[in-house]
Amino acid sequence: MADKKKTAEKKQRNKEFFWGWVFFAPTLAGLLVLNIIPIFQTIYKSFFQVGAFGRGNRFVGLENYLEMLGDSQVWQSLVNTFVYAILEVPISIAISMVLAALLNRKIRGRSVYRTIYFLPMVAAPAAVAMVWRWLYNSEFGLLNHMLRTIGLGSINWISNPNLALVSVAIVGIWSVIGYNMVLFLAGLQEIPGDYYEAAEIDGAGPVRQFFSITLPLISPTMFFVTTTRIIAAMQVFDVIYMMIDRSNPALPRTQSLVYLFYKYSFIESNQGYGSAIVVLLLLIIMILTVIQNAAQKKWVTYN
Amino acid sequence: MKQTRRIVALVMAGMMAMGLTACEGSSGSGNTSDSSGELTVAIWDTYQEPGLKEIMEDFTAQTGIGVKIQVTPWDQYWTMMEAGATGGTLPDVFWMHSDQAAKYAEYDLLLDLSDLIASSEIADMSKYPEELVKLYQNKDGKQTAIPKDVDTVALWYNKTAFDEAEIAYPDETWTWDTFREAAKALTKADGSRYGTVFSPKSNQETYYNLIYDWGGTIISDDKTKSGWDDPRTIEAMEYIEDLISDGSMPPYTTIAENEPLALFESGKVAMCMFGSWQSDLFSNEYVLANCDVAVLPQKDGHRISIYNGLGWAAAAEGSNTENAWKLLEYLSSGEAQKKQADLGVTMSACQGTSDGFIKKNEPFNLQAYIDMRDEIVIRPYSADTVVWENMSQEMLVKAWDGTRTMADTCQEIAAQMNDSLAKEQ
Repeated sequence: MADKKKTAEKKQRNKEFFWGWVFFAPTLAGLLVLNIIPIFQTIYKSFFQVGAFGRGNRFVGLENYLEMLGDSQVWQSLVNTFVYAILEVPISIAISMVLAALLNRKIRGRSVYRTIYFLPMVAAPAAVAMVWRWLYNSEFGLLNHMLRTIGLGSINWISNPNLALVSVAIVGIWSVIGYNMVLFLAGLQEIPGDYYEAAEIDGAGPVRQFFSITLPLISPTMFFVTTTRIIAAMQVFDVIYMMIDRSNPALPRTQSLVYLFYKYSFIESNQGYGSAIVVLLLLIIMILTVIQNAAQKKWVTYN
Repeated sequence: MKQTRRIVALVMAGMMAMGLTACEGSSGSGNTSDSSGELTVAIWDTYQEPGLKEIMEDFTAQTGIGVKIQVTPWDQYWTMMEAGATGGTLPDVFWMHSDQAAKYAEYDLLLDLSDLIASSEIADMSKYPEELVKLYQNKDGKQTAIPKDVDTVALWYNKTAFDEAEIAYPDETWTWDTFREAAKALTKADGSRYGTVFSPKSNQETYYNLIYDWGGTIISDDKTKSGWDDPRTIEAMEYIEDLISDGSMPPYTTIAENEPLALFESGKVAMCMFGSWQSDLFSNEYVLANCDVAVLPQKDGHRISIYNGLGWAAAAEGSNTENAWKLLEYLSSGEAQKKQADLGVTMSACQGTSDGFIKKNEPFNLQAYIDMRDEIVIRPYSADTVVWENMSQEMLVKAWDGTRTMADTCQEIAAQMNDSLAKEQ
């Protein structure tokens, strides 16, 4: 009797196991082909001097890495990448958090606002960068035109080496606010309404409610957004590639690690060196993510 | 529960980090050759597309072979080609450029046309400029592309600006000294107009010409040594440094953000050197109303234009090389070459077919481009041109914005270029 029950259970488990894999397989295949295999190929390539069109590879051991250690361009790009992340991540999170809190209330036209804020996320990044490039243009751009109309001087938004990275970060922040906001909105709606009712009875105002209830309870979402945004910000490329031209004097102070990777791998067909650069970035991102996972114990509240 | 969430978060983070490296393998789709017999043709110039489309339609009418043109902007074109070559999915027929031809030929990616040309009644390489034909030969002398067009450089000027400044228009008597004086006189103090503009990026259109006028070089004939440290090269570049310090050019930030074409077409700059492929000029309303073109100024009796020409090439491992050759053969015919010029697309490479190019683009004095063909130097190239060309363009930014002297910059470019030439060997 007991035996029979066990076999039935086993059968059931096998069936679940089978169907589980059936549903999982397409994703797994995609990950393998598009992510996991290329990642190992990239690491492999970073030990080679790769000829044009991926032919004529020659094993060079750690040569690419040693060259990278002495390449001031790589270190400057690393600094640029960090500066970009430090600008983009906190500011975009702060703005989208406030927006999400505002749009979580019952206000008229709420869904219209939500859509508007989400729109930049739908537009192609290259198109977004092109439009901003024109807005920023020092000679013919709308921003400087407005500045001149009100009697102020022109600003070289994207060709002043001290300012260009900030201009790039503004575009990055603008593009990502909507996406972060939607994630925060989802987190906010998980918070039970009675907490707020109770707080109100106790006499807590909206600001106090935000800091004592909303912020702690949204911390899991906050953790998710921070982690993914840092990773994405470290990989910044498209905005810089589209907005900062090769002859732009601000290029050395704006090019990111991924930009250098693209330059070496795809323009100068030096894939070995490009791969070494991207492996460095991968290591940095992994370290950052591990640190964040360890640090979350201190500030993330899970109910 | 807590543990699972952490694991999920960590795995997701890992996946996103990996997504970064994944882009290496995923580009380059979309240019696979069509198995239905239709030929895919890749080009990078939107302005030439309408004219080429007409020529391709003639070809289809004659042979029944369909042709699809794909336009990819220059900067992305070579990335697309590189990915296509690596993955074995090059377009059937495509434009080749002197910057890249040697590299593609070296890896046998281009269809060997020598025997096909030899047995063809239409294709005749003797009708083309010899150096241009040689440009598209590999090390063993095999022809890997058919010359498509030839381009030279001439001086465009804004007549209205000249009238305002009461200076005579540029003509064949001008020397580079005349040019410098005119540039100064045309510049307005309030910054609303500048005499001229040279960009570190437009080498073939600007400073390469001056360097050869001065008797300097960019690269030695055997492609092993840089000419950037040649005293005459440096002297020519210092002439440009003078133009910059005269204040005859816009501030460098303006040059960095705006193409010379945009500055000229908006009247911001009075004189500009442009290649004959810049067909946007020929139909621009402002340019039509205000501007014309003349031959370049000269130096000690030398009026040199850098010239170059694109080539039509086919993929060696394409799925229908037979049809691809038919198209190349057709494009090499006098008929197609003449039509290319007549439609005003560009100057054709084949001898005696360029009159149409001038007629079509009246009232501009495009004869200047033809006259510039009298003394020409092929655009400097080696097996891996892009590496040192991009390096020199980036390096020159510092000389342009004044943070470094031109002479130091040239020396540094020479040193780095010699390094990369050594790697080519």
